[in-house]
Formats: sequence, structure tokens, C-alpha cells
Amino acid sequence: MRCDHCSHVVPDGVFCTRCGAHQGTTEEFGDAKTREHRYAAHPAEHVAQPSVFTTLFPHLGHHKIHEFRWAFIAGLAGILVLYLAGLITAAILVSAFLVPVLYLIYLYEAQVYRDEPAIVLGFTIGGGIVVGILFTVFERIVYNPFQYSNNLLANAGVNVGGLLLVGLLLPVLQEAVKPLPAFFLPNRADFPETVDGLVFGVAAGLGFSLAEALIGFSSVLTGLPARVEPGTWIYDLTTLAVFQPLLQGSATGMIVAAIWRWRRGRLAGREIGGVAMAVAAHIAFSAGTQVMKETAVNPLFILIWQAAIVGALLIYIRYVLHHALLEEAAHMGYAETVCPSCHMHIVASGFCPNCGMALTAAPTSVKRARRPRVEATPAVERKD
Amino acid sequence: MALACARCGAQNPEGNLFCSTCGNPLTAAAAAPPVAAPGWAAAAPQAAAPGPPAAAPGWAVVAPPTAAPAPVPPAAPAWGVVAPAAPPAPAAAMAYASPPVYASPYYSPTGSQRQAPVHRTPWTLIIAAVVGLIVVMAGCGTAVALLTNKASITGGITSDLPSPTPAGSPSPLASPSAIAGATSASNDYLTIPVPPGWQVAHKDSQVIALLSPNGLGSITVASGPLNPPSTAQAGKDQIDKALTTKYPGAQNCPGTRPTNGTLNGASGIFWTLCYTVVSNGNSFPAASALFVGVNSNGSIAYLLELATLAGSMDTFRVDTKPIVAGIVWKSK
Repeated sequence: MRCDHCSHVVPDGVFCTRCGAHQGTTEEFGDAKTREHRYAAHPAEHVAQPSVFTTLFPHLGHHKIHEFRWAFIAGLAGILVLYLAGLITAAILVSAFLVPVLYLIYLYEAQVYRDEPAIVLGFTIGGGIVVGILFTVFERIVYNPFQYSNNLLANAGVNVGGLLLVGLLLPVLQEAVKPLPAFFLPNRADFPETVDGLVFGVAAGLGFSLAEALIGFSSVLTGLPARVEPGTWIYDLTTLAVFQPLLQGSATGMIVAAIWRWRRGRLAGREIGGVAMAVAAHIAFSAGTQVMKETAVNPLFILIWQAAIVGALLIYIRYVLHHALLEEAAHMGYAETVCPSCHMHIVASGFCPNCGMALTAAPTSVKRARRPRVEATPAVERKD
Repeated sequence: MALACARCGAQNPEGNLFCSTCGNPLTAAAAAPPVAAPGWAAAAPQAAAPGPPAAAPGWAVVAPPTAAPAPVPPAAPAWGVVAPAAPPAPAAAMAYASPPVYASPYYSPTGSQRQAPVHRTPWTLIIAAVVGLIVVMAGCGTAVALLTNKASITGGITSDLPSPTPAGSPSPLASPSAIAGATSASNDYLTIPVPPGWQVAHKDSQVIALLSPNGLGSITVASGPLNPPSTAQAGKDQIDKALTTKYPGAQNCPGTRPTNGTLNGASGIFWTLCYTVVSNGNSFPAASALFVGVNSNGSIAYLLELATLAGSMDTFRVDTKPIVAGIVWKSK
């Protein structure tokens, strides 16, 4: 068939395997070429869907995503059980490790690092941990909560100095240092895709988050009794297990993805907006949390605020990644392969003609197993 | 009217966008039954269909370009042609010399063409990793908590606060000069001595907060009018609620309980809360020795908070004793 949008002759399908455009009349969904109703990494979802796993774990196929979701839910259930049992120190440790460990399993599953796991994991997760240790120690030196005591009598004080430090300066500095490990990855030329940059950035951010949690909670880990009254710990455990790592990972992922786009010469308003969005989201997350804590707002509202910030950031990441995948998959030659999303055996270039998944987001094992085809369709006479 | 699929000929109910048999998009042109020999013909141009006008140049045309569009072959069964583009007027007459035929997007793998598995990690391994993480970390966390010394956060923090004096008896008002080299900080409602090394971290018309020289503790003292008048118990409940909301695990420190007494002439309640400060990813166990009181008609409130690390409360209490004794409530 001939694609409605790029005019190339491609194997028949619902999607053009070369440019990814949705074929046919799809006015009800919007622009068929940008096909934002079909997120390129997971076509079953809309781009504007704040899904954690299909955004930050883009190489996972349709079924594997569910396995990771269940594993995450199992981890959260474990934290809940520990909380109910009053084992807060144990719950803190599980919360700090849960998302980074899941991401490590994901990196193994997708083999994003290809043949060099030591270098890639060392510079992303390992580098993030080192940066996180150094930064958190520095943070504990410069920020003393006792210095910013407020008016208990009025019960509504927000210390401006503390807010500027915790809600503005520290988040900006964090976003400046967190991408450094991925930025200095020595073999980065082997990983040119934007989706690689996103994954490396998320890994570095999660390494940072792990170190930040362990250093930040070290006094509590060694200071609390083994079993305490659970009280309101569930709110801080939720932040520690879910929103803090997601914020740190996705913000760094967004910035590193923008750096990768810049290296491809594709830095545009969308990517610059992504960097601004990452920094703004971190500031909003930290400042909003600080203000609401100081004013003794119901902790549930703090969690809702954090979820809204992380959700907005995830959607922007999907928006950037979706368009990057649509651009970058077009260079792939025709090959026989298996779609990681719909599991069909397909003859395809950059996109699955059946479900529209961008095949640059396929796991490394699938990419390596591609068997090139010279032509996907019979030759057509061209007027050259 | 049933729609016939242009690819496989299956009849589909009206309203289907895609063929229920092969998934091929259904177009209005497909409503006609397929011809017996499915050869190529350019699909019927549709004015409404989106398409790249630039697509036409570059392809050989058979029909000479004319001003009038050539008639379109009716109901052409073009295999797999989906919603064909509407070329611009000159190109509307185009027909492709070597038209594309149906190219299946699928292949059937043979034994020698086995693809690598899409997934590497069994789901059981993923779940096992998470369960193992929970078990190991729960064990580590419990072990760390059991092995480290927690004696410093238990018991008796309030016991050495300024001794409650009998109600109605004159309070011993210490003067700031009782502390060598001390200055004083004052506002509309109170005065407090500031020893050398201590910093005034906050000061307004009702509240003064001092930060200890090592930065690991603070004294917050406040006084002000209450409207409507209230009680010390109501003030305590309000502070308890605020601290419980702000800090996880806030509760009376083990071995302590609220007691009534007076502080420099103000009657009220002493108690000690243990909690955990969680701020911007940093967290540590802390304790606050608290006093809240009101005057005789409940119109003036008095508040004192000694806050420090839970393990340092005993030392901090001793260090701050002269300062606490020097607090002067201006409104009685």
C-alpha cells in the first residue's frame, strides 16, 4: 500500500511501517500523522495518559508491563504490611529500594545497555548514587530544619528563607547535577536514540533518589525503635516509595532525553520546554510539599499534589518521547521481526504495521534478531 | 447496507470502520463487492481523505495530465489500499504504471527462522525479586533498629523542666543579666535572654525563636491574645494536632505524660512529644518539650517549645534551663 502521509510503498497495515502514521480516516482521533491517540511506545494508550510504566519503562511489551505493575503493587503491599506492623525502619528501606530495584530488573529485561552493562549501569545508577550521596550530605550541611521554626501559636507559619532553600535552590541544583553521570557516559555514541537517553536519565535519577533516601533517613533508621506506633507514617512512606523516586527519575530522564536530542541536532522548543518542565515540576513538588507541611495541611492533599505534579511531568515526557520515536524510527530498514507489543511476526521498518509501536523502543534482543529484507514490497516504477 | 472488505471480501455490518475478519480499514468504496480478479487499480480518490499532496510527483503517470480529472475506476479492489490520498487536481488523473500489490505485513517463521524471545525475565523471577527485596530489607531494617541504641529518646524529658510552682505564688523572674554576656530579645508580649552564641532565628510581635549555637536545637516562645478566650487544654490539643499532622509518629515520648504547672507565673500544661521530622528528603527523630498556658480569664496565651534531636534532649534541656527561667511574660 502507499502511505497516506509519507507516500512510500509499504506493507499493508493499519499503520505505515515507515513513518508510523495511522492509515485511514481518523478524524475522530485527531491528526493521523502525529497519532497522539496511539502512543508510539505503547500504542494501546493515548500520549496524554499519565502511565508510569509505559513512560519510564518504554521497552517493555504489552504483557511484560503488567508483570512489572504487579511486582510494583506487590512491593507496595509489602510496605503496607510493614507499616501496619509498625516496622517503620523496615518499611523505609523497602520504600527506598523498590522502584530502583524494579528499574534494574527492567534494564536487564530490555538490555538497554547491550554489551556493556558495567559501564552503562556504573555511569547511570552508580553515578546517580555517588552524586546523590555527595549532594545529600551537602544538603544536610546547608539545611537545618531547626533554623526555620515557625509560629506554633499561629499554626500557619511558612518560613520564607527555608522555602527558598528547600523549594527553589535545592531542586534547581539537583536538576543540574543529576544528569551528569549520564551526560558523561563514555560510550554514549553507541546509544543514539532519545529513548536510550530517557532510560539512562531515569536510571541516574533513581540512583540519586536511592542515595538521597538512605542518607536522608539514616538518622531515622538508626534512631527509631524496631517497632513504633504507625501513626501518619503511611503518607511519608508513600512519598518515599512512589512519588519521590518517580519525580527524581522522570525529571532527570526528561533532561537527559533533551540532551540526547540536542546531540542529534534536534533540540527544539519541545525539548527545551521539557527541561523547563522538569525543573518547574521539581520546584513545584518540593515547594508545594514544604508549604503544605509547614501549614499543617492534611497529608492526603500533599500526596494528591505530588501525584498531580508527577502525572503532568510523565505526560510531557510521553509527548517528547512520542514525537522523538516518530522521527527516529524512520531510518530503520525493512526486516522480519516480532512486535514486542502485539507479538505479531511482522515485516516492518520503524513501526509495527499492526499496532503502530515504534520498533526503536523494542528490547535489544528483539532488535538484534531482526532479519533484514531488501524490499518490503514489489518494486514500483518511479519517474526519476 | 453491508460493507464488503476490499481485501478479503468479507461482509461487514454498516458502521464498522475495520473489517471484522482481516482488520482492513473499510471505506465507502469497499461497499461494492470485490471483483473476481483482484488486480491493482488506483484507489478511488476521496476528497475528504487526508493525504500528502506532495506524494504524487516522482511517480510515473500513465494518463496524460489533463485539466479534467480522469474518471475513477469504480469500486477498485485495491488490496490493502487504505483511505487513499486525494492528490491535487492535476494528479487526480494519475494511475501508477506498476501499481503496488498487496504486501503482507506478516511472515510465518520457520524452524530455522526462530526469533529471539521477546522477554527474557520470567514473571516469577520479577515477583520473587520484589518479595526477596521486602524480606531482606525488612530483616535489615529490623536488625538495624534493634542493634542501635535508642535509650536517649525514652522517658523523662519533661521532668526537669522548670518545676511547677504553686498556683498563685509569685514566680521567680530571672533577669537576662543572670546569664553572663547575655543580651535579650523582646516583643510586645515577652522578653527572653539571648546567651552568647545563640541566634534570634525569628522575631515578630508575638513569637521569638532562638537557635542554639550548634544549630541542633531551637527555643520558640510565644505569647498573644486569644479571641475568643480559650483554655490551656484547647491550646495543647491544637498543638498536638498540628505536630501530628506535620510529623509522622508524633506521640507522647515513652515514659512521659502531660502535667499541670506554671512557667514563670503562667499556668498551663507541660508535656513532651517525640516525632520524626521529614523535610525535603531529610529525616531525623526529634523531640519537643512543650508548655502551653493561659492567663486567668483565658484571654492571653503563653507557649514554649524546646525542640531538638531526640537523642540530645537531655543535654539541651540542661543548656536551656537559664534561658527558660529568664522568660518574662509581659501580659498577665
